[in-house]
Amino acid sequence: MERVLVNIPSNPLFERVVRASADEVGQAIGLTQERIEDLKLAVSEAVNNAIEHGNQLESSKLVEVVFALDAEKLEVSIRDQGHGSGPVDFSRRIVEEQNLEGGMHRGFGMYLISALVDHCEVSSSQGGTTLTLRLYRKEQNDE
Amino acid sequence: MSDVIQREEFGEVAVLHITTNSVDAISAAAIEAAATSSAMRPITVLDFENVAFINSAGISSLLKFVVMSRKAGHKLFAMNLSPHHQKIFKMVEMSRFMPTIEERDLAAYR
Repeated sequence: MERVLVNIPSNPLFERVVRASADEVGQAIGLTQERIEDLKLAVSEAVNNAIEHGNQLESSKLVEVVFALDAEKLEVSIRDQGHGSGPVDFSRRIVEEQNLEGGMHRGFGMYLISALVDHCEVSSSQGGTTLTLRLYRKEQNDE
Repeated sequence: MSDVIQREEFGEVAVLHITTNSVDAISAAAIEAAATSSAMRPITVLDFENVAFINSAGISSLLKFVVMSRKAGHKLFAMNLSPHHQKIFKMVEMSRFMPTIEERDLAAYR
């Protein structure tokens, strides 16, 4: 298994660094362009979540991202240094008419992650939360 | 009109060309700030030709245009969305509030 590690301070600007890394890793292992776009968006959502909700935008706290590659899959783990999270809601979120005026415009992130990768799981403790995303290198419905 | 949007107007139409290639948490504030009633026309089109990436923070900022256009009774469209972004817009039902339009459909207004 090969690993690529990217550590960033909890500043949203550096989410773009992780996203660029996801792009490079996706290309290096031969994912299709559409899968790379899915990967970039899922990683972006996970990193922003770690920065904002996990580390509460404290730039001294790091978000650690590990891209682990093997013959079958790419696994991306995103770990924050927060105090753990409650249950994570991956249910479908859409733009809802009744929320437009009130400005409740966030909350699509976890749904998008779960819909765009093959598998995702969360583990959380008082030392932080780790979100693990998995994409198989061949489409699962391939023969 | 802003660092992230260039405005073009003809007849009843305003085309707002998004010039940042990343509609995300970093560009969101500037995008929201550009969503003013004076920027819009009865037909307002957001042009995504230069946009390579949109995440949920970016979608949230784009919703400001939805709110403003609905308040004014204007129609809002998206133009030059990539197939990937069309997929994402459908997933979160953004496309319900900002359907896509083709550039050729604007020709009649020019």
